[in-house]
Amino acid sequence: MILSTRSLKTMLLGALALSPLAQAEDAIKIAVVGPITGPVAQYGEMQMIGAKMAIEQINAQGGVIGKQLEYMPMDDVCEPKQAVAVANQVVNDGIKFVVGHLCSGSTQPASDIYDDEGVVMITPASTNPSITQRGLKMVFRTIGTDDQQGPVAGKYIAEHIKPKQMAIIHDKQQYGQGIAEEVKKTVEAAGVNVVLFEGVNKGQTDFSALITKLKQANVDFVYYGGYHPELGLILRQSKEQGFDAGFMGPEGVGNKAISEIAGPASEGLLVTLPADFSTNPANADLVKAFKDKGEDPSGPFVMPSYAAVQVIADAIKEVGAPDAEKVAEAMHKGTYETPIGKISFKENGDLSEFEFVVFTWHADGSKTPAQ
Amino acid sequence: MSETSLVLLQQVINGLTLGSIYALIAIGYTMVYGIIGMINFAHGEVYMIGAYVGLLVITALGLLGITSVPVILLLTLAVCILVTSVFGWTLERVAYRPLRGNPRLVALISAIGMSIFLQNYVQIGQGARDVAMQPLVSGGWRFGPANGFQVYLSYMQVLIAVTTVLFMTLLTLFIARSRMGRACRACAQDLDMANLLGIDTDRVISLTFVLGAGLAAVAGVLVGLYYGLINPFIGFIAGIKAFTAAVLGGIGSIPGAMLGGLVLGLAESFTSAYLSTEYKDVVAFLLLVFVLLFRPTGLLGKPDVEKV
Repeated sequence: MILSTRSLKTMLLGALALSPLAQAEDAIKIAVVGPITGPVAQYGEMQMIGAKMAIEQINAQGGVIGKQLEYMPMDDVCEPKQAVAVANQVVNDGIKFVVGHLCSGSTQPASDIYDDEGVVMITPASTNPSITQRGLKMVFRTIGTDDQQGPVAGKYIAEHIKPKQMAIIHDKQQYGQGIAEEVKKTVEAAGVNVVLFEGVNKGQTDFSALITKLKQANVDFVYYGGYHPELGLILRQSKEQGFDAGFMGPEGVGNKAISEIAGPASEGLLVTLPADFSTNPANADLVKAFKDKGEDPSGPFVMPSYAAVQVIADAIKEVGAPDAEKVAEAMHKGTYETPIGKISFKENGDLSEFEFVVFTWHADGSKTPAQ
Repeated sequence: MSETSLVLLQQVINGLTLGSIYALIAIGYTMVYGIIGMINFAHGEVYMIGAYVGLLVITALGLLGITSVPVILLLTLAVCILVTSVFGWTLERVAYRPLRGNPRLVALISAIGMSIFLQNYVQIGQGARDVAMQPLVSGGWRFGPANGFQVYLSYMQVLIAVTTVLFMTLLTLFIARSRMGRACRACAQDLDMANLLGIDTDRVISLTFVLGAGLAAVAGVLVGLYYGLINPFIGFIAGIKAFTAAVLGGIGSIPGAMLGGLVLGLAESFTSAYLSTEYKDVVAFLLLVFVLLFRPTGLLGKPDVEKV
């Protein structure tokens, strides 16, 4: 094909712009896409409250280039199929800016569509490295990647835990397996003996056979790559069977729900999370704004979502028009002051710097920085 | 006992627990198939509703201040069986009876529709998120060397096994001894003929759905208590597994469903233990393929009887 879809689209849009029908829209729409329903909807909520707060505050200050931002929440249930349907809907509705998606497995197929159709996408949560390794120009993230998070976890295990026999379990999903492989690489380089590397099924509820196997192999530390429903059950069933190894997981398990599922078994779980931006004194006013609305600003994706909206708004201001391609170009060059710190983007859309920290989880759903 | 045999014993316990639950759900499939020759694809959803009702009842009893575990269990099971029986009965009335006499495919599609409806109904009423249930029965027995591998048998596992055996025995006695049970057997042999001989076949079919739903509710409550995590989508995968168990054992045969459930549970457990958890579903379904290749009627299925 001589014409790419994008240039065709630009031509069509150009033609539309000339017609009297295409009046300038009053508001700049920002689609916030994540799981509003489904088993990981808790994370979607963090994303939604973060993005919504940013949009409300920007609007309260008069909006961007004289226009208001419009909050458009959309649900992809963290399912790749649904993510593609939502991405097409975003494109059809003429929305040019997306904050999302949340699960790496959803973000990857959706990002192809956005990039083809000239929509700026910033994911505040997907950490799989391959999302930004495909030369996409419109795709960014305001969160770190598994190849940053994995080594943080791996290094902590090798230096502080020093397990004799370690097992790494993952959920065979892009996010879970990706991070599990990074951890394996790091700990093996540090000389830790990984006796088991195995996948479980998403949605599986019975892990008793696996736990018996871990117990038999005298495993004293387990890393789990995946989300909280499965790890919660693994923790609960481990405690029942009397398997008392230490556990660690990525930010996908760092959610109050894990304590609801696992109860006392979630005490002492180690979790790598983005640094808790809500404790940063610079964000005190913002944290107060969240608390006034009865919302919790300490979730790992709240501030990155806020930052994503803010970056979009600032870049639109720089360009002076909501032109997605120019905004993306500006974002690659600019530096932005956000609640997650002063950020700039690399050529591939990743953050130049991002910090993950190890936390210890408690049975009541709270967390404290690990020693 | 050596460590290997202790581990083996633990895996057998794991597998039998899982298998008991599959068996309870599988009975619902097999009974409906045995009598009207159709697969009730909304059966998994009835199981899911059982789990939710169980959660609501346990929470309500907790609020009422009832703390005795046996009382809570009995009341919960009773209420759940009652509620899901109503669901089972309605399901048959709405999705099957109006379509009786139509090609089987029609009823199959209406059952799938019912399944989607029920899933969404619970999703709207209860939210799509996972709901955690606190363990009601905790603790168990441990045996084995103090410093080596200890086998663990939890009270909950025993409860699951005992409940399953109890309900299976009751069902078998009911089918073998009671008047309605005899009517069920007659309908399973030949629905039209039974009708001609004065059996109220509509009532028998309703009863089949009600019994199946009741057993699914028992499974739902047990799963909720054992694993402690339910969501509106658990019916799908459990339904598929139980259906596999029913086919494995010989669809239409009640002892077959029990055996199929246990075999499936053990197969999954052993695959996880000695191969890899990744392959447990692969092995379970391979087993099904082989059984169907070499024994198309399943393990305990009767040689093919032409259905009307």
